[in-house]
Amino acid sequence: MVEIYNDYKDHADFLTVYVREAHPTDEWQMKSNVKDDVCYAQPKTLGQRVAIANDFIKRFNYPIAFGIDDINNAANDAYSAWPERFYIIDESGRVAYRGGMGPFHYDPEEVRAWLAARYGAVKHDTPTPASPRPVASLSSRK
Amino acid sequence: MTPFWKWTIAVFLVLLLAAFLVLSKMAGSPKDVYGMVRYALPHMHRGTLKIGDDAPDARLVALDGSDHFHIRERTGGRPLVLIFGSYT
Repeated sequence: MVEIYNDYKDHADFLTVYVREAHPTDEWQMKSNVKDDVCYAQPKTLGQRVAIANDFIKRFNYPIAFGIDDINNAANDAYSAWPERFYIIDESGRVAYRGGMGPFHYDPEEVRAWLAARYGAVKHDTPTPASPRPVASLSSRK
Repeated sequence: MTPFWKWTIAVFLVLLLAAFLVLSKMAGSPKDVYGMVRYALPHMHRGTLKIGDDAPDARLVALDGSDHFHIRERTGGRPLVLIFGSYT
């Protein structure tokens, strides 16, 4: 997703919305998280959620603008986002693209295709550096 | 036990096994089925938003933990790509 951001940041704005954890240690923890040393309990306070979000930013030097959902999960509920999802809001403030529900239908290439249809495809002649692990994309584990 | 009930129970057990196999495939392994059913499925919702709907607004907190802003404050001049997710 960071690659798509770099390709289209001159044309579109990007905002990461950090929601409730997908695989915390006190719920359905994934073995891959243990292997990657990503072990956090489900935050019970906003401060805890903010702390985990900051850990993510620091670990991956994540460049995309960031907002954290309040502990009442208002943004998550409004967009039915959990565990991961894409949306594109057009200039008039309407939903222009609604991504599939993660993890099975979470597809960054659909976002790229939408942006490419508007602003042109961006080709990469040389392999780009590996993007940081995107926010909770289970597809990164496949 | 009558043959009818024997067949009914057998079909039920086969369906249960099939459901467990499907869930195991979705969850990644049989061990993860409980986690998925207990913690993931209750929180996964297709949602009702459609293309063309007004984008909902919500208040977000900045990384410093104290500043706030609204999603709709970031819409207007250009398309806004929203990336929902978490670290785990």
